[in-house]
Amino acid sequence: MRRIETDIIVIGGGATGAGIARDVSMRGLRCVLIEKNDLASGTTGRNHGLLHSGARYAVKDLESARECIRENRILKKIARHCVEDTGGLFVTLPEDDPMYHRNLIEGCRFAGINAREITVRRALQIEPNLNPAILSALHVPDGTIDPFRLTSANALDASERGAIIMTHTRVNAIIRNGTRVEGVSCIDRKNEQLDIYGSVVINASGVWGQEICSMAGIELAMFPSKGSMLIIDYRINGVVVNRCRPPADGDIIVPGDTVSLIGTTSMEVPYEKIHDNNVTDEEIEVLLSDGEKLIPNVSRTRALRAYSGVRPLIAVSGENTGRNISRGIALIDHNTRDGLEGLITIAGGKLMTYRLMAEKATDLACRKAGVSRKCTTHKVPLPGSEKGISRRRRIKEFSGIPDSVVGSTFYRHGQRLQSIMTREKRNYRLICECEMVTEGEIEYAIKNLNVKDLVDLRRRTRIGMGPCQGELCAYRGSGLLQEYGGASPEESVELLQDFLEERWKGVRPVLWGDGLRESEFTYWIYQGLFGISRPVKIKKKRTD
Amino acid sequence: MKYDALIIGGGLAGLTCGIRCAAAGLRTAILSGGMNSLHFSSGSVDLAGYDDEGELVKKPFEQVKKICRARKDHPYAKAGLPAVKKAMEFFIETTSNAGLTMNHNGDMNHFHITGLGTLKPAYLSQESVFGPRGLEIVNSGGKIAVMNFSGFRDYYPEQTVAYLKKNRIFADRDIVLGEISLPWYMNTQKNMHEFRSTDLARIFETEKYLPRIAEEIRKGAGDATAVSLPAFLGIKNYRAIRKRLEELTGKFIYEIPTLPPSILGLRIDQALKDSFIGYGGEFIAGERAESGPVDSGLLEHINTRNSGIEPVSAKYYVLATGSFFSGGLTSNSQRIMEPVFNFKVDADSKRSKWYSWFFFDAKSHPFLSYGVRTDKNFNPVNEKGNTVKNVFCAGAVLSGYDPVREGCGGGVAISSGFACAGKIIGELKK
Ligand SMILES: Cc1cc2nc3c(=O)[nH]c(=O)nc-3n(C[C@H](O)[C@H](O)[C@H](O)COP(=O)(O)OP(=O)(O)OC[C@H]3O[C@@H](n4cnc5c(N)ncnc54)[C@H](O)[C@@H]3O)c2cc1C
Ligand SMILES: Cc1cc2nc3c(=O)[nH]c(=O)nc-3n(C[C@H](O)[C@H](O)[C@H](O)COP(=O)(O)OP(=O)(O)OC[C@H]3O[C@@H](n4cnc5c(N)ncnc54)[C@H](O)[C@@H]3O)c2cc1C
Repeated sequence: MRRIETDIIVIGGGATGAGIARDVSMRGLRCVLIEKNDLASGTTGRNHGLLHSGARYAVKDLESARECIRENRILKKIARHCVEDTGGLFVTLPEDDPMYHRNLIEGCRFAGINAREITVRRALQIEPNLNPAILSALHVPDGTIDPFRLTSANALDASERGAIIMTHTRVNAIIRNGTRVEGVSCIDRKNEQLDIYGSVVINASGVWGQEICSMAGIELAMFPSKGSMLIIDYRINGVVVNRCRPPADGDIIVPGDTVSLIGTTSMEVPYEKIHDNNVTDEEIEVLLSDGEKLIPNVSRTRALRAYSGVRPLIAVSGENTGRNISRGIALIDHNTRDGLEGLITIAGGKLMTYRLMAEKATDLACRKAGVSRKCTTHKVPLPGSEKGISRRRRIKEFSGIPDSVVGSTFYRHGQRLQSIMTREKRNYRLICECEMVTEGEIEYAIKNLNVKDLVDLRRRTRIGMGPCQGELCAYRGSGLLQEYGGASPEESVELLQDFLEERWKGVRPVLWGDGLRESEFTYWIYQGLFGISRPVKIKKKRTD
Repeated sequence: MKYDALIIGGGLAGLTCGIRCAAAGLRTAILSGGMNSLHFSSGSVDLAGYDDEGELVKKPFEQVKKICRARKDHPYAKAGLPAVKKAMEFFIETTSNAGLTMNHNGDMNHFHITGLGTLKPAYLSQESVFGPRGLEIVNSGGKIAVMNFSGFRDYYPEQTVAYLKKNRIFADRDIVLGEISLPWYMNTQKNMHEFRSTDLARIFETEKYLPRIAEEIRKGAGDATAVSLPAFLGIKNYRAIRKRLEELTGKFIYEIPTLPPSILGLRIDQALKDSFIGYGGEFIAGERAESGPVDSGLLEHINTRNSGIEPVSAKYYVLATGSFFSGGLTSNSQRIMEPVFNFKVDADSKRSKWYSWFFFDAKSHPFLSYGVRTDKNFNPVNEKGNTVKNVFCAGAVLSGYDPVREGCGGGVAISSGFACAGKIIGELKK
C-alpha cells in the first residue's frame, strides 16, 4: 500500500475540483486531487457550456445573476482559450408572455447586466437562422465555455505549480480519527490501494457528494435533477439563443466549436439513478420540437449525439424533504454543521461559477490550515490564455502548415500552441480530420494532460467528436496511445473498443438519417473488417 | 426502349448481375451513383462465416444449404443452393478472366489476417493475402515479419503481432516488426505522413522504386520467410509488383487489409467493371436514379438526377443500391425507407428496436438485416402492396440476413445479383 502526505486533498476532478487544486497551489499549499474517472467526466462534461450573462436568472434569482455576470467578465479574461464571446439573444415567440421581456430588462438592470433591446430585423441579421416570427429580442453578453478545456487548463496549472492530479483513482473511504478527518483511502487504476493524509479534505464531488459524506459517517442529501441535451451537427447558430420566458425545457441553443447544442430537459431523479445517463425518445422529441421553435432548421439538421447530466442540487440545512434546496453555491464546513473537523463540502453553483466556488472553498481550507494568502485566480490567466497570438504571427511562425490546422490547435490550446506544434511534418499531420486534431496535439495531450485512455484523449483534443464520431481516427488514436502513452498493443485495442462503446451511448438515442449511415459504416470497419470482437456469445449485463 | 436490363447501383451485386446479363447478349446498363462498398471492404468474399450460434463455419456451402432449408426469407434460400454455387463459380471465372485470381480452399473456408491480427473466415481471397499458402509456411516453422510503411497513419503492426500471438497457430512462432522507409521519396512529397493506401500504392506502381523497396524489406525482415505489408501493393500491376518483390527478396509477401480506401477491394471493383464493359455493357458513372412510377405494378421508367427531360426505360430493372451506407436505404426519426421507389421494407417500426444496446453486441444490430422486402423471385412490393414484376432486387438492399454476424455480405451480393440476371434472361427467352 502506498501512502502520500499532503496539505489539502480534493475529491473530484470536475471544474470545481480542478479550480480548487489550482487555487490551493497558487496559495503555496501542497495538494492532491483524486478523480475516480477522468477530468470533466462528471456533470462538468455534461452540460451545455453556456457562459451565462446572468440574464437567465435575472428575474427570479438576483444573487445568482450577479454572480454570473461577475464571473462572466473574469473568465473572458483569464480563460480566453476556453471561452467564446459570442453574445446572446433572448427572443420572444408569439406564444410567449410578452411581459417577460420587460421584466427581464428590469432584472438585468438590477443585476448590472448589459442587456440591449434590439429590433427583430437586427436580431435576424445577427442570427439569420432564427425563427422570423419572433416578436422581440434582447441582446445580452452570454458566451460559451468549453468545460473540458477549462478543467484541463486548471488541472494543468495546478500540476505545473506542484499539485498531484490523480485520475482514474477512486476515493472509497474517508480516514477518520474521532471527530477529525485525516485523509482518504483510494483505489487506483491498477486496483492498488493508496492512502492520502492531509489537514483538510475538500469534497468537490458534485452530485456524488452524498456518497462521500456517508463515507465520513455524516448525512448530506442531494436532490439530483437530470437534464438532457442534443448535439446538432454543424454550428447552426453563431450566438447563444435563449427563449424569453421563465426557464423551462428546450429553451436554449448554444453554439460550441463545430456544433450546436439544444438544451435542456429537467427531471428530478432518485439518487440511485444518477448514473443512468440514457436519453429517452420522448426527451429527444421535446428537444427537437422546442428547438425548432427557436431555429426552424433544427429538425432538418443531423442530430449527432444526445447525452444527459445531473445537476447537484443540495439541501443545505440538513433536512431531507427537499423544500430548502439551494440552487446557488453551497459551502459546508462540516465542523460547524456536523462537528466533524477537517472536511469541507462545496457543491451546487454552475460550471461558470467554478472559480468562485473554488475561491470560497479554498478560503475556508486556508483558514483551517492557518494560511493567509489571498486568492488571485481572478487575475492570473490560465495556461494558454496568457495573451493572444495574432493570426499574422501564427501564419509567419508556422508557415507551410495549413492555416486551418494551426488555427484549430490554437483555438483549443491557446498560447500552448507553441509547445505543441513544430514544423516537422509528422507533428502536424492530421489524425482526426473532422476536428483537425494533429499528431502533435495528441502527443502533447498524452504526455501532459493526464490522458489514460481514448475517451480522456477525446476530452482533451476533440478527437472523434465530429460528424463521423471516430470512424477512422479512433483506430489511429489507439495506435498513438501505444506510441506516446505506453499502452501495450492489447490495451490499445481494448481502449479502442471501450471508446467506440462510449461513442455509441450518445449516438444510440439519435440513430437515424446520417447517424445510422455512419454507424453502419463504423460497425463494418471495426467488426466486419477488423473483427474487433468475434461475434460469439459475450454475456454482458444491460447497464452502463 | 433502349435497354433490356437497367441496373441501378454498381456495387458487387449490380456488377455481377450486369456482367451476366451482358455476357448473355442483353443490352445492359448500370447506373452508378457513387463509390460502392468494395472500396471499403476487405477484398475477400464471405460466403458463410458464422453459424446461428456465432461459431465458425468450416464448410460454407453446408451452411448455405442449412439456411436454404430453414430460413426461406434469406436471399440464399430465394436463389437456391445450386444458383449460389454457380454464382461463385461464375464470379471466380469472371475475375480470373479479368486478371484477378480469387483463391479458395476447396469447399472449406480459409482465414485471412486482419489489421488487428484477428483471423477472419472467408470463402474467396486474393492470392496476395495470407490464405492457405501463408498457413503452410507458418506450419512449417517459418519466421514472420509484420511490416509497415514508416509513418503510415492507417496501420499499427504492433497490434497485429499482439493478437496473432494469441492464436495457437502463431503462439510460438517468431514474429518480428519491421519498417520500410523511403526518406529520399519523402522529401519530394507534400506530407507523406498523411498518405493513404492509394498514395502508397502509387509508389509501388513505380517500377524503378521496387529494388529499393525490396532492399528495405530485406533489411527490416531479416531472416523471416513470410512478410506482411498493409494492402497497398498497387491497384493496377499488383501481380507483377508482388512477383518482383518476392523475387528480389526471396520471401513470401502477403497483404493485410486496413483502413479504407481498400486497395484489395478496388482491384475487384476494377476487374468487374473491365469485364462488364468488355461484354459491351454501358457503365454510367455519377448518375443516380431519383424516382420512377410503379403505380400499375410495373415500373414504367426511371428519372435520374442528370437526365432531365428524358426518362430512362428498360424491359427489366434491378435495384442494387446497397444498404444505408450507399444510400439504398434511408431513415428519418420515424421509419426506414427505400428512397427511390418507396418499396416496402422489412424493419421494426419502433426506433428503439433498430439497434442493440452495446455497439459490439454479440447479436450485432437489427438494422443490419433491414432491407427491401421481396418475394421468392426477388420482386419488391410497392406502396400499394402490389408486387412489381419487372424489378428485381439484389445485394445489400435486401432484407433477411445480417452480413456481419453471418459473414455472408459478399456471397449474398454475388448470388442474388447472379440470380436476378438469371431471372431476366429467363423472362426474355419466353
Ligand atoms: C443539464 C445541465 C445543464 C447545465 N448547463 C450549464 C451551463 O450551461 N452553464 C453552467 O455554467 N452550468 C451548467 N450546468 C451546471 C454545471 O454543469 C455544474 O454545476 C458543474 O459542472 C458542477 O461541477 P462540479 O465540479 O462541482 O461537479 P462534477 O463535474 O460532477 O465533478 C465531480 C467529480 O467528482 C468525481 N467523483 C465522484 N465520486 C468520487 C469518488 N468517490 N472518488 C473520486 N472522484 C469522485 C466525479 O467523477 C466527478 O468528475 C448544467 C448542469 C446540467 C445538469
Ligand atoms: C465497409 C464495408 C466493408 C465490407 N467488407 C466486406 C468483406 O470484407 N467481405 C464481404 O464479403 N463483404 C463485405 N462487405 C459487404 C459487402 O461488400 C456488401 O454486402 C456488398 O458489397 C454489397 O454490394 P451491393 O452491390 O449490394 O452494394 P454496394 O456495394 O453498397 O453498392 C451500391 C451502389 O449503388 C449506388 N447507388 C445507391 N443508390 C443509387 C441510386 N439511387 N442510383 C444509382 N446508384 C445508386 C451506390 O453509389 C453504390 O455504388 C462490406 C461492406 C461494407 C460497407
